[in-house]
Amino acid sequence: MIVTATTSSRTVHVDRDVLSEKKRRAAELRDELTQRGTLVVNLVSSPGAGKTSLLEATARHWTGQRSMAVLVGDLATERDAERLRPLVPVEQLTTGGACHLELSLVETGLARLPAENFEFLFIENIGNLVCPASHDLAEHLRVALLSTTEGDDKPGKYPKMFRTSDAIVISKTDLLPYVPFSVDAAFDDAHNIQPQLKCLSVASTTNEGIEEWCEYLEQSRRELLSHAMQASES
Amino acid sequence: MHERSLVHSLLTQVKQLSNQHDAETVDSVTVEIGPLSGVEAELVREAFDELAAEHFTNCPLLHIDLVPLQIRCRSCGRESSVSELSLKCPECASSRVHIVRGDEFRLIDVAMQVPVTTDGE
Repeated sequence: MIVTATTSSRTVHVDRDVLSEKKRRAAELRDELTQRGTLVVNLVSSPGAGKTSLLEATARHWTGQRSMAVLVGDLATERDAERLRPLVPVEQLTTGGACHLELSLVETGLARLPAENFEFLFIENIGNLVCPASHDLAEHLRVALLSTTEGDDKPGKYPKMFRTSDAIVISKTDLLPYVPFSVDAAFDDAHNIQPQLKCLSVASTTNEGIEEWCEYLEQSRRELLSHAMQASES
Repeated sequence: MHERSLVHSLLTQVKQLSNQHDAETVDSVTVEIGPLSGVEAELVREAFDELAAEHFTNCPLLHIDLVPLQIRCRSCGRESSVSELSLKCPECASSRVHIVRGDEFRLIDVAMQVPVTTDGE
């Protein structure tokens, strides 16, 4: 007869990243989207830095040439989605109060988008330079947008966001004559944290820099697909 | 404040482990927080104390190890402790560095009371 006599202390050693399971799922989704020929861009910034305006300018630039879709995150309202809807397929992800997007919301949004293989998928994150830095949304590129009205000292103040990004885009450069902002100082501050960061600047309302921004994305997609092809051949 | 969502993930994993081992109670949970993890220890503790009550009848203790930031230089190969604002090798000033430790929120171990089964007469 087996009886439970008592209990004993036991310490189970785990030693793994708390986010390891979510990171694994993100990596799987990223691979799937690569196979579909889609470059995924996670666009992060503080509120009002111009994420939606940049996407509007990007969509106008690519009209009839490149296919793109947008998943746009906000705490409430569909305002950003309504701005983009006349231009591209878009799904609003409403977090209801959460300060960042998580992978499960992206998966839900993807399922609601038209079932076609877009060349580019943009995830417009919640306006916040802190929490979104810790969450992998299956993106190939993380792009941090910093507007000239916010101040050129922000990269050093929000190091994790800039360290985990692939590119920094200075937005609203048309306002440079009116604000004390040095593009070079912002780039230097960002490079101090992440030396490989790609640096771009745009003014979405005048289209200045939009061609270079789009070329950066097209080049990144070509490199991604070429690496994926080499990997599948070897 | 995303600590709540991270602590929720942590507690789900602890609960799974406790179920796997048929634990009667979980005594303590040890985590490691690095300066580049984007996680604030004090907020983790608050969220843990609040959310653990939803998962466990007897709330486990939380031990937090704050680990320093450790990098390995890809140019000269040395390992050093550095500040989070400048990830450069203090030996050779190279920016080509790999973060060895300090950018994660890790679950290290879980101490629990598990049943001991014995053959009775």
